[in-house]
Amino acid sequence: MKELLQILLEEGIIKSLLGIAQITLILVPVLIGIELARHFNILEKISAKAQPLLRLLTLPKEAAFPLIVGLGFGIVYGAALIIDYAREGSLNKRDLVLIGIFLSICHAVVEDTIIFVALGANPLILILTRFLMAFIFTRLAAVFIDLRYKKERLHPQKNHAK
Amino acid sequence: MFNELAQPVKIGLQKSVQILWLLVKIITPVSCVIVVMDYFNIMEAIASFSAPVMALTGLPGEAAIALALGFFLNIYAAIGAINALPLGTQEITILAVILGISHELPIETAICRHTGLRAPISFFLRLAAALTAGIFLNHIIFKFMGV
Repeated sequence: MKELLQILLEEGIIKSLLGIAQITLILVPVLIGIELARHFNILEKISAKAQPLLRLLTLPKEAAFPLIVGLGFGIVYGAALIIDYAREGSLNKRDLVLIGIFLSICHAVVEDTIIFVALGANPLILILTRFLMAFIFTRLAAVFIDLRYKKERLHPQKNHAK
Repeated sequence: MFNELAQPVKIGLQKSVQILWLLVKIITPVSCVIVVMDYFNIMEAIASFSAPVMALTGLPGEAAIALALGFFLNIYAAIGAINALPLGTQEITILAVILGISHELPIETAICRHTGLRAPISFFLRLAAALTAGIFLNHIIFKFMGV
């Protein structure tokens, strides 16, 4: 029992507090950086340059801002913007779902990555793999949705022609 | 200039304190539970049970606990378990990618529903993406890097 308490103190409490201290060193400057970026609307400036990425994802330019915000600040902020856009009607159903798929796989890349890097993970592999997976799955979903949409549209047209 | 910087820095510090308190609240008890489970050899049983699936991603069976905690609770709970496991850089990176793609599923799939993406679809897409990424990293990237 005494042995268990000692392991609990050493391996459980002290080790996790040390881990948290390590995370603190990196997390605090990053969170301040994120707030500064929000304050100076830096993401608005970045999203103006996101056109090539959007073209690859077959998304319209209106999708840039929610996508970049979700990537930088997290899914809650991204989703909140998406709800706004959906209400205004500047993005259609297909685009909204695609943004949802991309962001659900790849969001809050700064914060999530930093926490794992503090534990010893490779940041480059971490970000690139997440981005790649989000890209592949979004693109596949786009092909799937577009095919289904095409079928739905072609079917009644066929009947019309005859 | 100074006044304009003060506000975001203050918010950043407030958020840091919130997150760090959250980390202490979640990571420490989870680590303790894992340590106790390890002491009573419960970890060993779970590890040998999940080892075959985990081996696909090059992770030890014990890491299944970290994944389960991350999938259903959040990344911080998973870190509590990771802290208690002896893992190398390759394993931590693969674990981080899997957890980065797939975490806090009950809450985040609910948030994503607002985009019109149905919860079960988002749930399985993320698990599939995470597993694909794990296998891809283990069998291709890390082999290629010669680690």
